Amino acid sequence: MTDSLTTQQITSAEIRAHLRERSSATLRRRMATSRIMTILCWLAISLAAVPLVALLIRLFEKGTPVLLKSGFFTQLPQQPTLFDQTNTGGVSNAIIGSIAIIAYATLASIPIGIVVGIYTAESDSKFASTIRVVASTMVGAPSILMGLFAFGLIVVQLHLGFSILAGSFAVSVLMLPVLIGSTEIAVRNVPPTLREAGLALGAKPSTTSLRIVLPAATTGIVTGAILAISRAVGETAPVLLVIGGAYAITWKPNDPGSALPVTMNSYVASNFDSLKDLAWGIGLLLVLVIFVLSFAARIWAARKQKVQR
Amino acid sequence: MTEHTVNMLKAVQEQEIVDPRTGPIAMRLSDVSVAFNGRTAVRDVTFDVPANNVTALIGPSGSGKTTLLRSLNRLHDLTKGAKVSGKIMLGEDDVYGGNIPVTVLRSRIGMVFQRPNPFPTMSLYDNVVSGLRFNGVKKKSILDAAVEESLKAAALWDEIKDRLKAHGSTLSGGQQQRLCIARALAVEPEVLLMDEPTSALDPIATQKIEELISQLKSRVTIVIVTHNMQQAARVSDLTAFLLMGEDRAGEQIEVAPTLKLFSQPDDPRTMDYIQGRFG
Repeated sequence: MTDSLTTQQITSAEIRAHLRERSSATLRRRMATSRIMTILCWLAISLAAVPLVALLIRLFEKGTPVLLKSGFFTQLPQQPTLFDQTNTGGVSNAIIGSIAIIAYATLASIPIGIVVGIYTAESDSKFASTIRVVASTMVGAPSILMGLFAFGLIVVQLHLGFSILAGSFAVSVLMLPVLIGSTEIAVRNVPPTLREAGLALGAKPSTTSLRIVLPAATTGIVTGAILAISRAVGETAPVLLVIGGAYAITWKPNDPGSALPVTMNSYVASNFDSLKDLAWGIGLLLVLVIFVLSFAARIWAARKQKVQR
Repeated sequence: MTEHTVNMLKAVQEQEIVDPRTGPIAMRLSDVSVAFNGRTAVRDVTFDVPANNVTALIGPSGSGKTTLLRSLNRLHDLTKGAKVSGKIMLGEDDVYGGNIPVTVLRSRIGMVFQRPNPFPTMSLYDNVVSGLRFNGVKKKSILDAAVEESLKAAALWDEIKDRLKAHGSTLSGGQQQRLCIARALAVEPEVLLMDEPTSALDPIATQKIEELISQLKSRVTIVIVTHNMQQAARVSDLTAFLLMGEDRAGEQIEVAPTLKLFSQPDDPRTMDYIQGRFG
């Protein structure tokens, strides 16, 4: 090729005709590509959805009869024998234990997590950014670490024994980084011009944070808290190591207790099919609780948003 | 030629232009510079803001209008690495002198922002009295009186007096901006800073705000940033024209009574700008 243009005589009509031909060919190719891509997308979606749907179907199929069985919610566990395999009792102790653990953990972690989250959102000090890094690392840390930590601190060092308190402690350590992260995001999402408006009215920075920024971030903070709770509900590992496993109903923090995921864990490993079935029921119950919590969080956030916008 | 321009020219010909700076002065700026992390954004601005008049800051994007405005109520205090030098006087008080607490200072210099920003979690009533409450006012009779008075001053009372418990989001953009003006007026400031207050509004809402500005100047000194030259010509008594210098720092080119600046400016760059040759 030389730098000069080819000197063949091509009319503009010929250029137009050529363009038409090429563009319709291009269009056909693009349509075909688009169709293939759509098919691939659906394939990927099915690959992701099939195991999930299969799991849910199996869970409802196996779990529903268990939940409907009399005594599941109200009776204490029984040890089935070879002569009476169906004598499994219920899981009332684990339900109460789980509620107690989550309640204590929530009471402890929510105030701390929210305050720390506000601090990391408002401060750009070295200390704040250290907390931020630690918190985001902890979110991804294996949850059994929290169990080990609670075991080392509460059970061994402080001699408080295997207990509901130790379980709550482990769960609250698990919830804290989630709460810090979600609170920080919620506070940071408040438009800076609201803060400026407060300061421009002569409000102190602390007043501005408490009375303007924080209320505007409430929706995000509460949604984050509900999601943190729903994450904690199903956690087995941190509680497993320190809960003690008692067959009695108790709310007392210093008693050994039981929890739904832990009970499920031990029933799955049982030799009795009747106990394995019970584990399905517990699984379904946990999934339902988590579903209700996340659903509530979404509805609440959507309604709040509508009022404010 | 519009009627407005005709009137302006007539005034110029008859040499009626009175410099508002011959009257009382609300704020004095001397050699005010603002730098962010060592980079100068506004350099050596010096002029007087006449009391109970409207002073407009005009200039192309990047000329430092908003930066200068935000130095007047120390809003740059929030920005890490921001440094304001020179001297700004509010009446007899040095704004950066440290003698008056910044909170007191900011309640004496109100501000209205580019986009209406009512507090989303508060009712209309609570929005208006928020500045009073932040400063410790609790008496209901005073709060009630302040709501009615400032909403009337902001020409919003008749539109919303029956639904003061509603949220700010139920108002139109123009109403929201007037709510923000009422909120700023409720703390009885001496000076009201307005940062392009109509840039997010439609022409009708803009016209209402402009009418309001003219009414308000008997009560408060106004400093308004606008990128709209017609707006500056319509509402202001004094105009400061800023331009980005060679090192990208905003500089003051000319400060003059609005009529004079828009009809016979001293600096050729002002003439170029108002005739739309750049910016």
